[in-house]
Amino acid sequence: MTSFDAGSLAAAPGRIDRQTGNVRFLGQDRPFWRILVRGAVLLMVTLGIYRFWLITDTRRFLWANTEIDGDSLEYSGTAMEILLGFLVAIALLVPLYIAFFVGALDLGTAGLTTGLALVALALIGQYAVWRARGYRLTRTVLRGLHFHQTGSGLHYAICVLFWWAMIVMTLGLAYPFAQASLERFKLAHTHYGDLAGRFEGSGFRLLLRGLPLWFVVMAPTFIAFSALLSIDWDRVGEIVGRGGTSDDILGRIAAGAPEFYEVIGLFVLAFGFAVSAAIVLFPAFQTIVMRWWVSGLRFAGVGVTSRLRMSDVYAAYLRFLGYLLLFALAMIVMAFITFAAIGLFFGTSAESKAAEIFTILGMVGLYVVSALGLSTIYQATAKLWVWRLTAQSSVLSGVAALDHVRAAGAPDSPVGEGLADALNVGGGV
Amino acid sequence: MSVRTGTARYFDGLTSARRDVTLELAAHALVIRQADGIILGEWSYIRLKHLSAPDHIFRIALRKNAAPARLEITDMDLAHEIDLLAPDIDRTGASARRDRRRVIGWACFAAVMMVLSAAYGVPLLADRLAPLVPRGFEQRIGVAANAQLRTMLDKGPADRPFDCGEGPIEQAGQAAFERLVRQLETAANVRIPLEVSVVRRAEANAFALPGGFIYVFQGLIDKAENADELAAVIAHEIGHVAHRDGMRALLQGAGLSFLFGMMLGDFVGGGAVVLAGRAILQSAYSRRVEHAADRFGVEVMLALGADARALGRFLERISGDTPGGFSVLLDHPTAQERAAAINAMAPPQSRGVTLLDPAEWAALKRICAAYRT
Repeated sequence: MTSFDAGSLAAAPGRIDRQTGNVRFLGQDRPFWRILVRGAVLLMVTLGIYRFWLITDTRRFLWANTEIDGDSLEYSGTAMEILLGFLVAIALLVPLYIAFFVGALDLGTAGLTTGLALVALALIGQYAVWRARGYRLTRTVLRGLHFHQTGSGLHYAICVLFWWAMIVMTLGLAYPFAQASLERFKLAHTHYGDLAGRFEGSGFRLLLRGLPLWFVVMAPTFIAFSALLSIDWDRVGEIVGRGGTSDDILGRIAAGAPEFYEVIGLFVLAFGFAVSAAIVLFPAFQTIVMRWWVSGLRFAGVGVTSRLRMSDVYAAYLRFLGYLLLFALAMIVMAFITFAAIGLFFGTSAESKAAEIFTILGMVGLYVVSALGLSTIYQATAKLWVWRLTAQSSVLSGVAALDHVRAAGAPDSPVGEGLADALNVGGGV
Repeated sequence: MSVRTGTARYFDGLTSARRDVTLELAAHALVIRQADGIILGEWSYIRLKHLSAPDHIFRIALRKNAAPARLEITDMDLAHEIDLLAPDIDRTGASARRDRRRVIGWACFAAVMMVLSAAYGVPLLADRLAPLVPRGFEQRIGVAANAQLRTMLDKGPADRPFDCGEGPIEQAGQAAFERLVRQLETAANVRIPLEVSVVRRAEANAFALPGGFIYVFQGLIDKAENADELAAVIAHEIGHVAHRDGMRALLQGAGLSFLFGMMLGDFVGGGAVVLAGRAILQSAYSRRVEHAADRFGVEVMLALGADARALGRFLERISGDTPGGFSVLLDHPTAQERAAAINAMAPPQSRGVTLLDPAEWAALKRICAAYRT
C-alpha cells in the first residue's frame, strides 16, 4: 500500500523492445453522436430504463473501434445481461436496507448507526465498482481471448476508503500515491488470458508533475479560508443576533467589524480564482494523469508509452465548450417558448392546477433536457476525443508476447455491474 | 456446383494466435480450413451470430460456444453470402432495429407501470399495511423520532425546559390543558395512549408523530381565542394518531424511495425527475390524509358537543393569505378549502358546550409564562 517505488523506475528503461506496435481508434464522431442522442431521448422517455442498452451500445462502439496492434477489441456484454444483474442486485439490496432501518431503530437513531451505515454503503459501493470492473474485463475480447480479474473486492474497497481518508487529510497531496497504489492493486489482478498485468507508474513522479497545478489551485483556496478565520465571528454573530432589517445589520457590521467586508471581498476573489483555475487546468490535469497511467500499464513483457499532447486535449475541451455554448443558446430559446406557450394556454394569473402541473413539468423537463444534453455533448466531444487521442498517442512495446497467450479465467457475473448501478456508483464506460 | 470460398482471419478462442484461413461455404456449414488443408472447424449456419466490429470487418462467432472463437472477414462480398445463409445474421440491421423497437416498447410500458404504481399502488399498499404494523414497532419508531425531533426543535438556552407547564406559575395552565386533552381522548376513543406536550416554539403549529406523540407549539396557544379552537386542533392531531398516519407516511415514503430511487433514475438529470415526482405524489397523499384527520377532528368535537367549526375558523385566521408557490406541492390543503370542507360536515353552532371554564382558559393561556421566548 505504500508508494515509494523508485526501484521500479530504474528497472523500466532496461527492458528490450522486441517489437513495437500501435494503438489506433477508428471510430467516427457521427455514429457516436447518433448512439448518444438517441440514447438520451430514450432515457427520458423510459425514465432511465433504457440505460442498460445505451451503455452497451456505447461500449460496443468504443471497444470495436479501438485497435491494439492490428486487432480490434470487442465488447461481448449484452444489455439483457446487465438488466438481469441489476434486478438481482436490487433483490440483494432490499433486505439490506430493511436490516439497516430496523437496526437503526433497535439501537436508537444515534449518529453512530447512521455513520456506520454510510461507511458500510461506501464499502459495498466500492466492492460493486470492483465487481463491475471484473464484469467489463471478462466481456472484453481481443484476438479470441477475454480479459479477467482476480483478487478480493472487499480488500479493494477497504483500500479505496483508506486512500479517500488520506486524500482528504492531506488536502489532495496523497492523490498520486492513492492512484499509484490502487492502480497497482487493480493491474496486479488483471489478466489477459494467461498474461498477467501489473502497473509500474510511480506515485512520486505523478506528484512531481501535478504539484504546480496543486499549488495554483490550493494556494488561493488556503488564502481564502485563512482570511475567513481572521474575522471575529462571535462579534458578527452578536450583531446579526440583535436583529433588524438586513440594511440595519449590514450597517452595524460595517461599524462594529470594519474588516468584515474587506475579508469577504478577499475571500470571494481568492476562492473565485481557485475555482476558475481548477476549471481551466482540468484538461492539463487529465493529460498528466492519463499519460502517467497509460505509460505505467504492463502485461508481462508488453509495455505501453503514452505521447498524449496537452494541446490536443485542450483542443478537445475547446470543442466541447463551443458545442456547449450553442446548446445553452438553444436551451434559452426553448425555455422561453415553453413558458410562453404555458402562459398563452392558461393565462398568467390563472390558479388552475393544470397550469401549475404543466409549469412544473416544463421546469423539470427543461432541467432534464439540459442535464442530458450536457452529458451527451461531453461524451460525444471531450470524452470521445480524449479516448481517441489517448489511443492514437500510445505506443506498444514487446508485442510479440501477444502472439502466444492462452485462454484463462471464467466470465464474471453481471451482478457487480447491477449492484454498482443500483447504488448509483456505476462508472459509465 | 462449385462451392464459394474466401479468406478470413480466425481466432480459436484458446490461444491468441492469428490464423489466416480459407472459408468454404458448404451446404451444411461454414468450413474453416487451415492453409495446409486441415479443417479447424465447421460452423453450422443456424448458430452463427454477428458481433460488433469496426466498419471494415465482418466479425462472427458460433452461438453457445464455450470458447470465444472468432472469424473476421474483410471481403464484403463473402460477408454478404454468409449473411444470406445464416438466418440470425442481418447486416442491414433491420432485425436489430425490430428487436430494439420491442425493447423500447417494453421499457416505456415498464416506466408507465412504475409511475402508475407510484401514484396509486404505493398509497394503497401503505394504507393496507399500516394497520398491520405491530403497535410495539410503531411505538419504537415514535420514541426514536421523538428524541430526534426534540433536539432539532429545542433551540432555547440549556437551562430552560423545552416543555411548558413545569414551572410554578405554569402548573395551573398544565392542569387545564390536561383536562382538555382528557376530554378529547375519551371522546376520540383511541387505543394508543397519547402523550400531548406544549413546547416553547413561537410558530402557530401542532403535529403528531407515530406512537401517539402530539406536540402543540406555544405560538398556537397564543393565537387561539378560545378553548374550542385549541381543542379542534388537538382533535385533528388525534385523528392522525388514530389513522396511524405517521406509519402510513413512512411506508409510503419508503415505497416511493424504492420505486424512484432504486428502480429508476441512475442517469444524468434523473435526480430531478425523482425529486419532482416524489414531491408531487407525497404532497397529494399528505393532502388526502389531512382531510381525513379534519373529518376525525370534526366528529370528536361533535361528540363532545363543542364547536366543530372552530378548526376551520382558526385555520383561516392564522394562515393569512394563500401561500405563494405551487399548490400541487403543498402538503396541506389551503385553509379555505379545509374550512369549506369542515363547514360542510359540521352544522353551525350558536352555543357550544364550553370545554374549559374562563378561569381555566386564562390559566391555559399562561402555560408557557415562566420563561420569556
